[in-house]
Amino acid sequence: MVGSIVLSFALLCSLLAMVMYFLNYKGYKNTLNYGRIAYHAMAMLVIVAAALLWHAILTHSYEYKYVYDYSSSDLPLGFLISTFWGGQEGSFMLWLLLSSIIGIVLQSYSSKRGDLEPRVMAVFTLATTFLLVMVSPMFKNPFTYIWSDPMFIDIKNVNASLLSMPFLQNFIYSDGQTNQQFVKMTSDLYASLTSAGISVNQFIINGKGLNPQLLNFWMQIHPPILFTGFSMSTVPFAFAMAAMMKNDYRDWVKQSFPWVLAGAGILGLGIMLGGYWAYEMLGWGGYWAWDPVENSSLIPWIIGVASVHTLLVQRKSQNKGGTGKFAKTNLILCMLTYILVLYATFLTRSGVLGDASVHSFVDPGMLVYLFLVIFIGVFIVLGFGMLAYRWKYLSENIQTEESLLSRELALFTAAVVLCASAIIVFVGTSAPLISSAVETSFYNQMELPIVIIIGLLNGLSLLIKWKHSEGQELFKKSIPAGIATLVFSGVVIIFAGITNLMVILMIFATAFSLFVNLEIAIKIIRGNLKMLGAYVAHIGIAIFILGIIGSAVYSQEKDIDLVKGKTEQALGYDMTFTGWKPIDGGKKYAFNINVNKNGKKYAISPVMYISDYNNSLMREPAIRVGMTHDLYISPVGYDEGNQEAGTTVTLGVGESIDYKGTKITYTNFDQPDLTKMTSGQAISMGTKLTIEKDGKKYNIEPKIEGSMGNFSYVADQIKDANIKIQIKKVDPQSQKTDFIVEQLVKDTPEKVPQEVLSIQASIKPFISLVWIGIVIMVVGFFVSVGRRLKESFI
Amino acid sequence: MKNKYVFGGAIIVIFLGLMAYLFTQSNIQYENNFQIVKTKDKTVKATGAWVKSKNYEINKQNRTFTFYMEDEHGIEMKVIFDGTIPNNFESARSVVVTGKYTNGYFHAKEILTKCPSKYEGENVKASGI
Repeated sequence: MVGSIVLSFALLCSLLAMVMYFLNYKGYKNTLNYGRIAYHAMAMLVIVAAALLWHAILTHSYEYKYVYDYSSSDLPLGFLISTFWGGQEGSFMLWLLLSSIIGIVLQSYSSKRGDLEPRVMAVFTLATTFLLVMVSPMFKNPFTYIWSDPMFIDIKNVNASLLSMPFLQNFIYSDGQTNQQFVKMTSDLYASLTSAGISVNQFIINGKGLNPQLLNFWMQIHPPILFTGFSMSTVPFAFAMAAMMKNDYRDWVKQSFPWVLAGAGILGLGIMLGGYWAYEMLGWGGYWAWDPVENSSLIPWIIGVASVHTLLVQRKSQNKGGTGKFAKTNLILCMLTYILVLYATFLTRSGVLGDASVHSFVDPGMLVYLFLVIFIGVFIVLGFGMLAYRWKYLSENIQTEESLLSRELALFTAAVVLCASAIIVFVGTSAPLISSAVETSFYNQMELPIVIIIGLLNGLSLLIKWKHSEGQELFKKSIPAGIATLVFSGVVIIFAGITNLMVILMIFATAFSLFVNLEIAIKIIRGNLKMLGAYVAHIGIAIFILGIIGSAVYSQEKDIDLVKGKTEQALGYDMTFTGWKPIDGGKKYAFNINVNKNGKKYAISPVMYISDYNNSLMREPAIRVGMTHDLYISPVGYDEGNQEAGTTVTLGVGESIDYKGTKITYTNFDQPDLTKMTSGQAISMGTKLTIEKDGKKYNIEPKIEGSMGNFSYVADQIKDANIKIQIKKVDPQSQKTDFIVEQLVKDTPEKVPQEVLSIQASIKPFISLVWIGIVIMVVGFFVSVGRRLKESFI
Repeated sequence: MKNKYVFGGAIIVIFLGLMAYLFTQSNIQYENNFQIVKTKDKTVKATGAWVKSKNYEINKQNRTFTFYMEDEHGIEMKVIFDGTIPNNFESARSVVVTGKYTNGYFHAKEILTKCPSKYEGENVKASGI
């Protein structure tokens, strides 16, 4: 409740800030301070709301639907904290929180640069307003109470000692198929509980927990970084709008440049961490599946990177005065970056990808769908409407023509190629909108030539001078890098025996880009280190692409069945399955494999377990990271071998049966106390049997113990009679009971059970280059941020 | 200024053409009517529910995973997937398989399981305890 109120006030403040800033832009001088105060009040309220949500999660306040849906009391602190963004509502909240904090920085930044602040902040607060409406009680509010909509709660999450309350019996339901029992949590039940003096937090004592696939270290890092990237993409949009509002297109380039670079760097890092998470956790062996959700964050990133290139041209061409080149292109790209982030949100949150993606959220309902359409629609109309309004002015201020061999044109072409690449991903990803989909080959075939062009273009453009270069001069300059490229590519191609022409071209183009950048970087290292950013980023991209070639094109894969203790040879490794052991307090099982390659020995342990969360088998791969390649072991299945699990016999009370020379008689069935059972208290259901073997009589009493929904079967055994009996199933009406009977020491020696572990082993050559490349690229981005930040004061 | 348009225009035209071609080539339709799935000769994404009562079978020799799916009209089909049981399968409410129907079964290359985010009311029947 408090959380919703805080968010509502934040929404008011955000609206107020927007109006005040806008009025200030319109000439009302005294509203600037109100705008600032309102913005900071909003940011503080959002931070308070976020703290309240964290507090609710950490104190296990299951009265909030969000806390019940995504967390549980047994989660360790790190995962509890990351539960914050485990669901739809919370991830909007995270986006809002990060936007608010970035807005504080932006406010301070823009207030120091001319009359920028009112225009930039008016647009930025429009974005925060929309996010605040999104988390308002109308839509995706994380502070919704659990009883506000009727909801079925698994009885195991309810305080068992309270189940006896008479009024509760009308709210208990059971699933006909699985016999699971639920409590229907409604506002009526809430009212009854309250009048009985019981709080919801006393009544519901555990939550559903987090999806096991999210229980990963990177869950704590990847979403915040990705959403920081999303939040920062609002800034270039705001700067572009601010430029158009003032109808001055000169200063915004310098001012927005550090933001564009930092945003692209962070978003790139966020996307990569998502890929690394998939590689480490999901076990299918790759890091990128062209899944619509992955794609949807890639598209704005590519456009953002494209805008870096054309912003550079405009910035450079301003040196001799004027607005500079590609002003319109820059406005469009900067606005598109944010609009595509919104589009990504629409795709993943509206339910349109329902059937198409692994991690798309479920259908949130028509209202949210419409709101998302309005959200994105407003920004498109506003951005492009403003552009249309200024189009005539912009067209009349266009700069002169460039020479064919100029760096300006090369950079523009780079942006065009990047845009083409983004369009491909966009089209493929949007296919589900027309209830269709594309195979991943679509992306691979389309992006391959683009990567080749990007590599060549990148190398060439850095050799071409600004304004104009002579063909001959260019040729001369490319000789050192060209030779290095030829040697490197030749060695790689011959050594790896590559015959695919596209791959050869790709290696060649990438190597060319790598060597040109290296050459320049080495020259610069002796000079001004601040200038290094672009070259470092390009070196990173080149290394990244080489990593893709190695890991995607040349990975080897093999399915292997490992019999315990028997060494198998595959992919040049000797592998021996030595057994399993429980880990994580017995929740998971690690299957140990001893690996031996040319005398180098180590152990590797993929993990499998049945998750309580979804009752499904979950698998986690094991990875041996190496310099030249990773050994990736994905568990497939485990067979304990054919151990005899005992014989099932069905007996009614008074009946007897002969089992391997032992007479078993079912003498008595202890009727459980049904009132105890329905009230949720622990019960014990006993059966009594007598056993006759070699003239001796024994009594044996297998039992069922436990409380509603959580029974365990307690076996009983008689050593002297060499027998063990366990209850399998009881029919309370007829009292017919299924027993599992087995001998403790088997009469006939059975064949030794064979434990078999099935795995999928693969070798991923140079996959480490993928991660290293991206990290280098991000470093490059931030070196550039440092440089452009200094230039951003006008 | 002309260079800009010549370069950009040419690249865009080539890529749009190539893309349109490849899009139609690699395009896969969603289908939730198994009657149509069974007659189609193209790769489709069939969406339906796992028939729990018919269970599933994991064949370790051939590395296949066999189960039955039904569409909303109750039409069943046998699905054989090249691979093993996916994570999350047991709790899946709806399954999307990508592949082709041949020789009396659906040969799936890809499985996607969608899990329920909450228990839906209609599946929980009142019991008379």
